[in-house]
Amino acid sequence: MNVKFLNPFVEAASEVLQAECGVEVKRGNLTLHKSALTTDDVTVLISLVGQVQGVVLYGLSEKTGLALVSRVMGQEFPEFDNLAQSGVAELGNVISGQATIRLSKAGYSANISPPTLIHGRGVTISTLDFARVVVPLTTELGEVSVHLALREAPPGTHSSTFVPVMVPDSAKK
Amino acid sequence: MAKILVVDDAEFLRVRISKMLSSEGHEIIEAENGLKAVETYKSARPDLVLMDITMPEMDGLTALREIRSFDSSAKVVMLTALGQESVVLEAIKAGARDFVVKPFEKERVLSAVAKLVG
Repeated sequence: MNVKFLNPFVEAASEVLQAECGVEVKRGNLTLHKSALTTDDVTVLISLVGQVQGVVLYGLSEKTGLALVSRVMGQEFPEFDNLAQSGVAELGNVISGQATIRLSKAGYSANISPPTLIHGRGVTISTLDFARVVVPLTTELGEVSVHLALREAPPGTHSSTFVPVMVPDSAKK
Repeated sequence: MAKILVVDDAEFLRVRISKMLSSEGHEIIEAENGLKAVETYKSARPDLVLMDITMPEMDGLTALREIRSFDSSAKVVMLTALGQESVVLEAIKAGARDFVVKPFEKERVLSAVAKLVG
């Protein structure tokens, strides 16, 4: 994992959460995880292809997810229903999009996949374990952890085709 | 008031935009990917399309080109998380009339709509 790809995602997450939910973001300490299992109630998974390749995950509790989407929509979401789940996935999509704008300005072109929302802790998200840097972002509405498993594509080898990440259908929303 | 087709794979975004525009008196129809957007455009002939880019089945740029191939006067605004210069240029070349990057302010979307169908 190349840490130079970290800041674009952290900055994008801070900007998007501030703009959409009106919350300030405090960045915590980095840790390294190497497990194929999800560790949060809800995980949004987005793949990157191009000059930067890999996977970004956004993990949060249902409670935090409900609080965030309630702020965005301007109405209370009492249940983590399909609409709330779609809202959490969309937040991950917008953060990743903003991060790719920053990567592009730094000279790295990348495209993102539509988000996949995984519901439940301990769900296997790939047949392969992969090392990922995890950054906790704390807000007044709860914590969002950003997991990055990204690498720079060797020159001339980057693909525009997404490699599917294996997620059990029962965990997808 | 205008008939506006909102295209996004995220139900949350479609509902959010629909609430915003219907409160201004517009009629809203929805599609969840580019393929359905093209089909819906042919049958409903909306005055304006607000379209995401990253979607399953058919992405928004492909759908934009498809729609413009049979209606060269179609008014399509891209509303997307992708804001790289290359993507904006590709959309404008393909005939997009405006390009709004998420996260967006309500006033930015309303102004894009008013400019084209106001």
